[in-house]
Parts: sequence; structure tokens; C-alpha cells
Amino acid sequence: MTNKPDSENSVVIERSFNAPADLIWKMWTDPDHFKAWYGPRGATIPVAKLDVRVGGIRLVCMEMTTPRGQMQMWFTGKHLVVAEPIRLNYTESMSDENGNVKSPSEMGMPEGHPTTTEVRVELQEADDRTEMILTHIGIPSDSPGAIGWNMAFDKLAIYVDAQVNE
Amino acid sequence: MTTAVVDDKLSATFAALANSTRRAILARLVEGSATVNELAEPFEMTLPAISKHIKVLERAGLVKRGHHAQFRPCTIEASRLQEVSTWAEQYRSVWEARFDQMDTYLTQLKAPQGKKGKQ
Repeated sequence: MTNKPDSENSVVIERSFNAPADLIWKMWTDPDHFKAWYGPRGATIPVAKLDVRVGGIRLVCMEMTTPRGQMQMWFTGKHLVVAEPIRLNYTESMSDENGNVKSPSEMGMPEGHPTTTEVRVELQEADDRTEMILTHIGIPSDSPGAIGWNMAFDKLAIYVDAQVNE
Repeated sequence: MTTAVVDDKLSATFAALANSTRRAILARLVEGSATVNELAEPFEMTLPAISKHIKVLERAGLVKRGHHAQFRPCTIEASRLQEVSTWAEQYRSVWEARFDQMDTYLTQLKAPQGKKGKQ
């Protein structure tokens, strides 16, 4: 499934790293390296199964301490494009620890969140540095829940505009 | 360390939004400011329970409370909502933080272990 990224439903980030593309590739594909940076602040990655070949499955566990105790979040996905060391595309969905996909609303997330997203990593090496372009695209969900939550946000957006223009 | 996650305002905002009562409170506040009493009306909940939800929204920066000692009306915090209004924008800061960590990690990989210099 391909989706043309649009600003509403995707995020594009460009970064330059002081390292060769081979090493940045390993950051994404070698579980030990991946675990070292991927967790958000205060979170660890106890599990990162990365079967890096086209059609290969990923399963990543994020663990964090919250005021209510330890919390685990699982993510699964499938590798769509594997072109070392220049391009890596994979899908991502929330899941249980066995990789069964869960809808965002089942996981207590706001319903505007797409069930499946696609992460695209592009690497380009120049003078010992690597330019990386990350594109994270939402695959639109047309579940009634998603529509409801989007409508709520549309309403909020109108309110926000009114506040800004006041 | 204990505050690492709490510090992450985005997580707090996300957590605050992940509750139907709190979303309903926000939806009500879109119509205009309201006191805790007014907000409690449509819910079969005690005032302390509603107050607790409002505190979560307040901590997440989604709701502001007035200073009128008695009523302290709640107002929706537009800017915060704008930031989290698309999942994509939520992810932007998540990725930015991750890549900062990748940078730090790459530097650690390159640096010789400890301060002893070359092995």
C-alpha cells in the first residue's frame, strides 16, 4: 500500500550525522544498536526483533516507568524495502507481545491515530557524514472512531484559529 | 530519573487525551469556559472525580484554570491542542528526541572507553 505523504498525515525529518551510512544503517537494523537510541527518554527497549529483509517481521517492545508503574508497549511491522545502506521502509502498528495488531483505540490512544503507519528511512553519505531523511506516513483509517475523533479535532481547529485571530 | 517520563510533556498530553471523560470535558470546553460544577453536570461522577480529571488535563497543559478564588473557571489551552492535533506532529518530537539520542550514542561509539586513552 503506498500513500503519497501529505503534511497532514505525515512527518518528514532531515538530520545529518557525523558517521558513515553503513553505521547509520546498523543503527536501524542491528538490534543492539537500535535498542541504544530508539527508546524515548525514560524508556528502554527490552525486545527488538528485526528480521531485516523484504517481508520480514519486526517486533519491538518499549518499556517505561510511569507514576502507575511499569508500562510496556509493543509494536510490530513488516519490512517493505530493504536496500542497504540507502533505503529502509517498514510498517508499524501497535500490537501485543505476540505481534497481533491492536487498534490505537484499543490501546487507549486518541482515535485519530492511524492503525498502521509506514516509516521510510533514506540515507545518503557525503564526506564521512550521512544525510538521513525520515518520513513517517499514516495509512488512513476510515473506522467510525477515527472519523469521530477527527471531527472533534476539526472543531477544535476552528476554535484554535478563532483564538489565534482574536 | 523518576521525572524523565513525567517531564515529557507530550506523553502527559497524550495520556491525558487517552480517556473518554477527559475528551468529553475538552469537547465541552470548546464551547467556552466552565466551572468544575458545570463540567461535572453531564457526568455521573462525583466532583472530586471530575476535579481529578481536570487536574490531569491541567498538568498536560490542555486546560488552564482562572484565578477567581471561588469559581476558578476552566479554559481550553488552544496552543497545546494545536501541537497535538495531528498524530504526525506528535511523532515529530518523538523522532527528534530519538535522533538526538542516536547522535549521542554515535559519539559514545567513537570515543575511546573511559579516560585512559588508547588501549
